[in-house]
Amino acid sequence: MAKNEELALSLKGIDLYYGYVRALSSINLDVKPGECVALLGDNGAGKSTLLKVISGAHKPTQGTIEVHGRGVEFHSPRDSAAAGIEMVYQDLALVDAQDTATNLLLGREILRKGPLGWIGFLDRKAMKEEAKREVANLGVKIDTLTRPVEMLSGGQRQGVALARSAVRVSKKAQGILLLDEPTAALGYEQKVMVEQMIKRMAASNIAVVLVTHDLPLAFSAADRIVVLNRSKKVADIETSKTNNDEVVGWITGARAAQAGLE
Amino acid sequence: MRKPDTLSLLVFTRSWGIVILFAALFVAFSAWGFPIFGTFDNFSLILGGASISTIFAAAIAMGIFSGALDLSVPGIAALGGVVMAKLMLSEVNLWVAMLAAIVVGGIFGLANAICTLRGLNPLAVTIGTLSVTSGLAAVVTNGPPLFGFTGLEFLGSDLYFGLPAPVYVVAIVYIFGTIFLTQTRGGTRFLAAGGNAEALRRSGVNANLYKLLGFVLSGVLAAVGGIVTTAFTSQASSLPATGSLFTGLTAVALSGISLAGGRGSLPKVFVGSIVISEIASILAIKNIQPFWSTVITGLLLIGALAGELAIQKQVSKQVVTQGTAANAALAGKKEDK
Repeated sequence: MAKNEELALSLKGIDLYYGYVRALSSINLDVKPGECVALLGDNGAGKSTLLKVISGAHKPTQGTIEVHGRGVEFHSPRDSAAAGIEMVYQDLALVDAQDTATNLLLGREILRKGPLGWIGFLDRKAMKEEAKREVANLGVKIDTLTRPVEMLSGGQRQGVALARSAVRVSKKAQGILLLDEPTAALGYEQKVMVEQMIKRMAASNIAVVLVTHDLPLAFSAADRIVVLNRSKKVADIETSKTNNDEVVGWITGARAAQAGLE
Repeated sequence: MRKPDTLSLLVFTRSWGIVILFAALFVAFSAWGFPIFGTFDNFSLILGGASISTIFAAAIAMGIFSGALDLSVPGIAALGGVVMAKLMLSEVNLWVAMLAAIVVGGIFGLANAICTLRGLNPLAVTIGTLSVTSGLAAVVTNGPPLFGFTGLEFLGSDLYFGLPAPVYVVAIVYIFGTIFLTQTRGGTRFLAAGGNAEALRRSGVNANLYKLLGFVLSGVLAAVGGIVTTAFTSQASSLPATGSLFTGLTAVALSGISLAGGRGSLPKVFVGSIVISEIASILAIKNIQPFWSTVITGLLLIGALAGELAIQKQVSKQVVTQGTAANAALAGKKEDK
């Protein structure tokens, strides 16, 4: 077992009840910096709930969360963001009528130098260049940065949303990125793009938790696979030590839980 | 590649449709209303006639851009006008009276914002405020319109370079508004708050602050409209000019946006407002009953929204088709290898 300081994220004994329904039971999860963990499971297994616990949207009934060895308690997504956790939601939350550069730099707009900047005038040119640089660094392909994002295809929109979180998370020294179904409804090329982005993020020492239904994505992007079944963790294994059939067995419940996880 | 051309054409229509409509109507009406319509004097009349409702259009536009249809605009305008008139009749300095009207507008805008941000339905809240403000305006006047104050001509009937004073108020409002919306950080966030407040929130920006700003700007501009109306007519009536609400809303719809918020351009709202005035002008020239202009305004409002919806649907369809085509091409390429 790694020492706590070496873990980016460590959950211990997480229980969560929705009324009498137990949505998560005694979940332990460790993620190291630079590691990508895929969180798999059938619908209703609790993977999205677990992601919401990490992002601060849900408060666990019991259990502790540690970020880089420090105990934290999240009351809202803002608290988790302050601790260096960024979540990319399925609904993307883009401002449709505005262009990529504006969406990417929302909340950290670049102002002009001099008196005009003091009263809040934007430096559109600098914003466009900054957006271009950030997008290129992440390997996202977007036709034009000045087009409103509503005119982009689904994959490119996903790219913009991912890039926005990725940039924010990489500005922090030890970031944690949470992805909720990043490839749902994407075409082939865009899936590859998202996959490469995830790998690039992990390579730059960011801890990634990936919730997905897409097994090929999990196998190609993740270092470790964690399977939830009916609110319990049934498998936690390095990607290289398992295979598709085993994982499907754990997801459907056809295969018994790993030793020590019954 | 034919498809992207369709897309560009659709986007072009949405962006510039109102300007084309303005130009087309201008040419058509100049011919139909020859020789009166196309003259500078008539154009000055069109601008002057449009100016007050153009100010109200700005008030409504600011609300819609930030995501809320503010129906209290006519009430706040009436209250602002009578407050100023009452103060002037009580020998209060003109500028102080004007400032008081603007402050009243800001306060009621703020009240709208606070109620809405607490989760009340903005339509219901602003209708309530419309009733409250027009009631209060009647309390101030105690019935008939106030008149007999002087010194407001410079903002009302006076001409500068052949154009009536309210036209210049419109110019100031629209120029500053446009600079705010397009060039500043505040404007970008203001529009983002109307388009997707959640996106703003997740970026660590206080979205409610910008929603609040929308209502306050709407209230302040409504009060400015009330001041100019009072100056132009030399009297202050407590009756809210609800007609200005309809023309204002129509001007916003004509500018080519859905009323869902998050987008919009003031210069196009201005052109939309002028189009409505153009129509009123040709009806007057052709001696057609002016009531028809109200009918046409309503039809324009519905027509503009229907057109926008149709274009929006086509655009989505085109974007999806393009995306799928690109994917199919790529998947095919992969299999070839």
